[in-house]
Amino acid sequence: MSAFPIHAAFERDFLVQLVVVDLNDSMDQVAEKVAYHCVNRRVAPREGVMRVRKHQSSELFPRDMTVAESGLKPTEVIDVVFED
Amino acid sequence: MAMHPRKDWYELTRATNWTPSYVTEEQLFPEQMSGHMGIPLEKWESYDEPYKTSYPEYVSIQREKDAGAYSVKAALERAQIYENSDPGWISILKEHYGAIAVGEYAAVTGEGRMARFSKAPGNRNMAAFGMMDELRHGQIQLFFPHEYCKKDRQFDWAWRAYQSNEWAAIAAKHFFDDIITGRDAISVAIMLTFSFETGFTNMQFLGLASDAADAGDYTFANLISSIQTDESRHAQQGGPALQVLIANGKKEEAQKKVDIAIWRAWRLFAILTGPSMDYYTPLEHRHQSFKEFMYEWIIGQFERALIDLGLDKPWYWDLFLKDIDELHHGYHMGVWYWRTTAWWNPAAGVTPEERDWLEEKYPGWNKRWGRCWDVITENVLNDRMELVSPETLPTVCNMSQIPLVGIPGDDWDVKVYSLEHNGRLYHFGSEVDRWVFQQDPEQYQNHLSIVDRFLAGQIQPMTLEGALQYMGFQSIEEMGTDAHNFAWAEKCRPQMKKSA
Repeated sequence: MSAFPIHAAFERDFLVQLVVVDLNDSMDQVAEKVAYHCVNRRVAPREGVMRVRKHQSSELFPRDMTVAESGLKPTEVIDVVFED
Repeated sequence: MAMHPRKDWYELTRATNWTPSYVTEEQLFPEQMSGHMGIPLEKWESYDEPYKTSYPEYVSIQREKDAGAYSVKAALERAQIYENSDPGWISILKEHYGAIAVGEYAAVTGEGRMARFSKAPGNRNMAAFGMMDELRHGQIQLFFPHEYCKKDRQFDWAWRAYQSNEWAAIAAKHFFDDIITGRDAISVAIMLTFSFETGFTNMQFLGLASDAADAGDYTFANLISSIQTDESRHAQQGGPALQVLIANGKKEEAQKKVDIAIWRAWRLFAILTGPSMDYYTPLEHRHQSFKEFMYEWIIGQFERALIDLGLDKPWYWDLFLKDIDELHHGYHMGVWYWRTTAWWNPAAGVTPEERDWLEEKYPGWNKRWGRCWDVITENVLNDRMELVSPETLPTVCNMSQIPLVGIPGDDWDVKVYSLEHNGRLYHFGSEVDRWVFQQDPEQYQNHLSIVDRFLAGQIQPMTLEGALQYMGFQSIEEMGTDAHNFAWAEKCRPQMKKSA
């Protein structure tokens, strides 16, 4: 277990929030942890797979890639978006 | 002894510069404190303040103003404003006093710096009066809310906010330290008096006085008018300082100071005044939207002032105009959702009628911010209150110290502007905030935002509760809650049922 702080924007939410994830979390787990602070709070739930990318990047991280493998730096900004 | 008429001596005394003989001019006016940019003493003697007064005149007028404001307060103490006003209005009062009252003492320091270190004698003369103005503003805005402390502990934040680590107080202190306490005399003239006071507070206080009268709070209306008349006088110190700089080949430097201060003032203004005008003020008392107010009173006024002086509109003017449509809706939602971290009770302001008004004033509001409020409203109506409060911190801008927000809903557009500087990662809420940082990294680089402090372990325990304690809340009664105790949500029930 190794706590890893990131800043996250979630699709259709209005702000960026601090979310503490784990270095061993997969990107799917990261998306879930971010969604916890957004979905059903200010964003209506919807069908679809949540994906993680670096903020404003066009490339999505592989779903099973861990935070440690991603090259993300602590406190970097990510987006969680729904796959089309 | 007969007094000489003012006309016989005023011009001479207001334009007199001492000729130093024991020290050099630079020792008397060190650049770091004076900000003269190498322009010699005699050039500053052309500084011509548009409003002129003498000490006896000043004292006489100020005495009348004080007597007026204090007698109205005394006469209306039985009017039970606190008990009879809409809770949205009471929130505006609390927010105003906490954000402004003690900040006036920073302005005393700024005026004092001009009174001592400006090379322009006219500036020094006016700043001596400005210093006394700001002292009066600090004292009167602490005295007036004091009567409410026994009824509501949040009013104690008029005094405490600036001495706390509450996030909005940090934002205000960061801004005022940047444009006042951490700047030289001429920068204060430009950044405080021209950019902030002429541009924002002078106009805002006019609007606020009128809103107070509408709300039936004549005590506050009178207080604000009494302050505004001082502001409109001492705010005129920046214009002539800009004229001296431009005439002596320093337009670029002057422009940059104006550009920095207008942007920074705007962002703070947007979170303090935007929600007050468009969400907290009861619908029946709203004369114009925040956007309409900005266009009528601020934008045109700034454009005229800048052109008259020979300056340009700031490079980010188009971004500024876009911000006026969008920014404060996100700020409002953030303050409301994280309301326990505020010393006032935010009014949601989203009944069906209010949403119609927002849609009319800001076309597209419903498919943007309205989408989030739909989810919040459903949660309130279904008693899922655990979802109507946060469990983490919002990311805040390393310049404005305000949460990073954007457009939610169908037109989702949330952008962060990051910068790696000396191995540290900074995040900004706009391209302009990042630009401000880049103009003078040394001025800003060591500051830790509330989130940075949390991550650095300065806030213990590392929970939202720990953060509330760190911010200085002494009891649950002091933490913000919904101004109308969620009564607004019931008005949304029929519409929610229909759409379900």
